[in-house]
Amino acid sequence: MGMAGSGGDGIVSAGESLISAAAYEGYHAMMTKSFGSQVRGGESSCRVRLSTARVQNPGGTLDVAIALNWEDFLKFGAELPVSGDTVVIYDSKTGVEPGQIPLVGVTPKEVFAVPIGEMARRAAGTDKAKNSVVLGLIAGWFGIAPGSIVRGLNKKFAKKGPELLAANERAFHLGEEFAKEHPLATPRAMAPPTSSGSKMLTDGNDMCAAAAILAGCEFFGGYPITPSTEIMQFFTREVWKYGGAVVQAEDEIASIGAALGASFAGKKAMTATSGPGMALKTEILGLATIAELPLVIVNVQRGGPSTGLPTKPEQSDLFQAAFSASGDVLRPILAPTSVADTVDVTVEAFNIAEHYQTPVILLSDQEIAQRKETVDPIDTSRFTFIERKRPTAVDLQSYARFRMTEDGISPISHPGMKGGNYQGAGIEHNEQGNPTASGKVHAAMNAKRFRKLAPLQRRRDLFRIDGDPDAPFALVSWGSIAGVCREAYLRATAEGLAVKLLVPWLVYPVAEEIYREFFGSVRAGLVVEASHQGQLYRILRMYVDVPRGVTSFARDGANPIQPGDVVERLRAAALALQSPPSAQQIACEE
Amino acid sequence: MTTTNAPLPTYQAKDYKSELKPIWCPGCGDFGVVQAIYRALAAIGRPPHEIAFVSGIGCSSRIPGYTTAYGFNSVHGRALPIAQGIKVASPELLVLVAGGDGDGFSIGGGHVAHAVRRNTDITYIVMDNQIYGLTKGQLSPTSPKGLHTVTSEYGSLEEAVNPLLYVLAYGANFVAQGTPADMAGLAEVIEAAIRFPGFSFVNVQSPCVTFGEDDQQVKNHRATMQSLAKLGHDPTDRLAAMGLAQKYGKELHTGVFYKNPDPPPTMNALIKERQQVLSEKAPPRSRIFDRFLQT
Repeated sequence: MGMAGSGGDGIVSAGESLISAAAYEGYHAMMTKSFGSQVRGGESSCRVRLSTARVQNPGGTLDVAIALNWEDFLKFGAELPVSGDTVVIYDSKTGVEPGQIPLVGVTPKEVFAVPIGEMARRAAGTDKAKNSVVLGLIAGWFGIAPGSIVRGLNKKFAKKGPELLAANERAFHLGEEFAKEHPLATPRAMAPPTSSGSKMLTDGNDMCAAAAILAGCEFFGGYPITPSTEIMQFFTREVWKYGGAVVQAEDEIASIGAALGASFAGKKAMTATSGPGMALKTEILGLATIAELPLVIVNVQRGGPSTGLPTKPEQSDLFQAAFSASGDVLRPILAPTSVADTVDVTVEAFNIAEHYQTPVILLSDQEIAQRKETVDPIDTSRFTFIERKRPTAVDLQSYARFRMTEDGISPISHPGMKGGNYQGAGIEHNEQGNPTASGKVHAAMNAKRFRKLAPLQRRRDLFRIDGDPDAPFALVSWGSIAGVCREAYLRATAEGLAVKLLVPWLVYPVAEEIYREFFGSVRAGLVVEASHQGQLYRILRMYVDVPRGVTSFARDGANPIQPGDVVERLRAAALALQSPPSAQQIACEE
Repeated sequence: MTTTNAPLPTYQAKDYKSELKPIWCPGCGDFGVVQAIYRALAAIGRPPHEIAFVSGIGCSSRIPGYTTAYGFNSVHGRALPIAQGIKVASPELLVLVAGGDGDGFSIGGGHVAHAVRRNTDITYIVMDNQIYGLTKGQLSPTSPKGLHTVTSEYGSLEEAVNPLLYVLAYGANFVAQGTPADMAGLAEVIEAAIRFPGFSFVNVQSPCVTFGEDDQQVKNHRATMQSLAKLGHDPTDRLAAMGLAQKYGKELHTGVFYKNPDPPPTMNALIKERQQVLSEKAPPRSRIFDRFLQT
């Protein structure tokens, strides 16, 4: 379901009421919001996808499209695609006749011109009740949770007084009645939810912050930047309750600097930002690597380069995360693929940071970070929390902070620990932490810093691989696009295509063995991601012999990739295999 | 061996001195600064492992390594943010920050104002030599206008930053200046700065023997320095302090320019208060996701 209107129309608020009611009823749901770049006003839209099974992604073409005015609706283009199966509902005040709606090249299944504004004014005396009318229409036509919607509206407006409450309920019922008086030619009603019991409803940023606190994070340094700011906001509300603190720093550099200081002091620490902020944090990231200090850095990716598209998702900061450094640096990059698994990935980021004494980049993206998703209640007892290796009393008798160990991990002290005194430094240092310009020591320290991370590449639990291991066709995807590929994988499998799917949580370092094994049977496939260059595809080719038939399907951010697009390309790849490719096709792939 | 009931000092200056040999040129002012720091720390008597000493990059930023404290020789200009993170995370530590004029008032200049207004209980010591020494003699933010250096062949075109006025203008509650020409006085202001509850700033005129100007050497300091106390300055008078600070670069005043007689609560105190109030009715960490349930 997709709806669009002007800023004041409350269309996003309608979406929120709908998804909240659905979550309460036990439906699975997902909602993405999209706005113009204005701070207030301007156009706004949301997509809501409801299901009795888990929702993997925001979906493709719309079943229901709601336009409070056409000008705003059309601004969202490919974000709100209408097809021949769509039911279109719009405010008749636009003066557009149902046969004349401004959708090019498509004839929707059914079109309803509804006097939405007029009904709102009749019920509540104000245009502001338009969203309640819309909710009534949805409940009436599609049978979605009318009781829970009204209950939600009552809760939402409880503080605004009984008059407003009654007015909104009247508006809702007017919508519901309109739908009943004008039934759909082909009735469509949501099946009742299969699972009972209320679900959680949340987004990736809140889940990331909550999971960080669960993992024991006691310090957050931040600087406001879209679309990551809600992480800092959550910390400023909650972290004090657990003995922690937040510093909103003067800039991105100071925010990661303060977080690194907190880690030096022995506390679990985090900072969050987006691409442009990440560029500024690079200097201290290098310091964290050479000083071997645990730190979690969240980058909620948006469209780039530079200011780029601050409110739209893209997966184009992978090169930056992996390679933006002076010197030889290897730092783990983890990517969540949904709101739900943001919790697992965040806990894992802290565990890896603490265990290996390294900065870890958590590469989220605007879609996961800001979309609302239903999540089953979480049993937190299933998590293990790793603490950094502390020196023993014996270690402290002749303590060397950067002692050469077989696994590259040296016990780490912190100020306040008697006998553990050492010099942390950005300058190359010997085992004691004292500065050196010795080439021999430098080489040994570089080797230590790389060696300690080697076991990560064998962590099979950081990969999800589905499908027949011998399948000749393959999909690889990461981040928010992984959910799109999961649906594509299910559809292609249902069509009888022998396909398998690999989704990494650990994006970098490239787990060479795991990919080699995965690609072993593969003759054709796609690496699917939302960027111009196809950055994961190119990084994979640096480390792994990617089969010739596996190509990059990369699309610039803010141009959603839909499951159908992936299935179509996969089919084409399968067909191409049957007839040998021409020289020209091979050149294109390169 | 005689015994006495009088309390003995637990630590002496030498207990804060590490075995590392400084890289500084013979005669460098920073030798005096590190000696003054040893003395101040001994007077205060905190064990070395309870001290975190953070610096940036530059000759003077090597200083934590010459102490037995926990040190962090970080990156250029970022000592203050790191030190504040340490102090917020572990308020029980004694946190010192040191660096040069380039570190503090050029590349890291943006952090100073915020360290002042954030008011964590840390002490910032700047070794101000009006030149970039480690990179061999370039213009620094406190170099006097017109100075000829390897990056200002025909004389610099910019006015010098006035570090004293800068921190006073942002509302710093403790501002002092010293010189290694007066070791006792320098150790005294550093000790007073550390004891002050809140952000404290000490500008040390620490001569560069290799690239510095002749009139900025210790010998000259000894001849020209004027004690603020002897001048009758009232260190509780911020405006008078700002008046005197305007003489930076022309006259060498030593001692305390300003010390707020009624210091505001530190950020650490405010955080502690907030943590206490909010933790009372907090659900356990394991229930942190409950808030997302649709009820």
